[in-house]
Amino acid sequence: MSDLKIPTELVAPIFNPASYADRQRMEKMLANLRHNYPLSQAEVPGYDPHWIVTKYKDVREITRQDNIFHSGDRSKTPASLIAEQMMRDYSGGKPHIFRTLVHMDPPDHTAHRDLVKDAFMPQNIAALETTIREMARRYVDQMAGMDSTCDFAGDIAMNYPLEVVCTLIGLPKEDHAIMLRLTQWFLSYADPDLCRPGSVLTDPEEQIKTWQIVYDEFKSYYSSVIKDRQACPRHDLASTISNGKINGCPMDERSMISYFVIASTAGHDTTAATIANSMWTLATKPELLARLKAEPALIPNFVEEAIRWTTPAMCFIRSAAEDYELSGRQIKKGDLLYISYLSANRDEEMFEAPYEFRLDRTPNRHIGFGYGAHICVGQHLARLEMRLLWEELIPRLESVEMAGEGKWQESEFVCGPKYVPIRFKMK
Amino acid sequence: MSTTPYRKWQCLACGDIYDEALGSPPDGIPAGTRFEALPDDWLCPNCGALKASFVPMDD
Repeated sequence: MSDLKIPTELVAPIFNPASYADRQRMEKMLANLRHNYPLSQAEVPGYDPHWIVTKYKDVREITRQDNIFHSGDRSKTPASLIAEQMMRDYSGGKPHIFRTLVHMDPPDHTAHRDLVKDAFMPQNIAALETTIREMARRYVDQMAGMDSTCDFAGDIAMNYPLEVVCTLIGLPKEDHAIMLRLTQWFLSYADPDLCRPGSVLTDPEEQIKTWQIVYDEFKSYYSSVIKDRQACPRHDLASTISNGKINGCPMDERSMISYFVIASTAGHDTTAATIANSMWTLATKPELLARLKAEPALIPNFVEEAIRWTTPAMCFIRSAAEDYELSGRQIKKGDLLYISYLSANRDEEMFEAPYEFRLDRTPNRHIGFGYGAHICVGQHLARLEMRLLWEELIPRLESVEMAGEGKWQESEFVCGPKYVPIRFKMK
Repeated sequence: MSTTPYRKWQCLACGDIYDEALGSPPDGIPAGTRFEALPDDWLCPNCGALKASFVPMDD
């Protein structure tokens, strides 16, 4: 079966943040789409029609052609017609509230990414190893002092990458909690445990109301940072962004605030999700911990497979800038495409036994960081952070098991575990 | 057999490194394959950038 239109009742959950709390159900639904409706259309009431892209090869073909499949013309994450209209109203006709790298197309994207690209190259990230390892060791020490139980997601996973990225930006320790709170309001706007206090989750306008508030909060916070770094630049990311020039001109305000937004949110949230899910995996697969303790050289493989396994960025939306034939389908100019990274990273045509967590999956060509020119600029930092944490923790972790039921976030975009209760022994 | 030392090449788009000494055997590229010997339509295995996006790391 390979129908062009996906039954609405089957595909509607993809647009509903609450669906993502049931990870197994989402995985089953995506497998069904991949097997029976590869590259087919979803027509869900309240949304424009979307092509649902679930196959690895299709995702790669689309995401490496920024000139054909645009990021900047429509919402980059699933948005209802009401939400899209609200974003246009708020931003003076633009399709986004934020103007981050994610929302740009070449040549704008290239020019803005060049600002930080060198700093995130592997050889420059490697220079941070001593500093980040010290942070990792401190969190492992903290865990060792926790009397054998903790919520690994909230106690460790959310805080360690937050501290790393906030330190790189140049933010004082006392402000890190603000960044975590705003990140959760922004990316987990629909999760009852993480959303902005006062949110009305049944209100179809809530997402955009929250994003407006988040933008304004970030603007309020970073305005003084920008002023400070412009007057007195330091060796930090805040100085690079605050003094950034695009084609010789200062960045416009929305782009600059948005640059800080993406650094302060995506810079830790996806890594936190992967770290939390890695521990959940260790706690339910004791053979993994035993093997990693015996063969610590496999830790980089563990990190890579954990990224594939978690795929914290569920999706992005692209719009076709011209007609294009993809896998026998006729994509028309203006069509929207929902790119499912989670499904692509489970594609049986690419990954042998995709539902098995395999330490010996080499090469592991997952697209958990995306693909094409929009591939995550912080990917090498994320890998380093995770490797160092596990290099510090695994030799000291004697045993770990779940101490209750873990919980996934209710989020259709960036999604990871929000609660990972564990019982553990450490030395 | 060439005695020129093996070089490393880096993708300017994503930072991925192609090491001639290692090649990429799982992708059918044997160890010792010079960058210049890779097919013209070879893409960065990490991000899909064109071969022309790579630069030698020792320059």
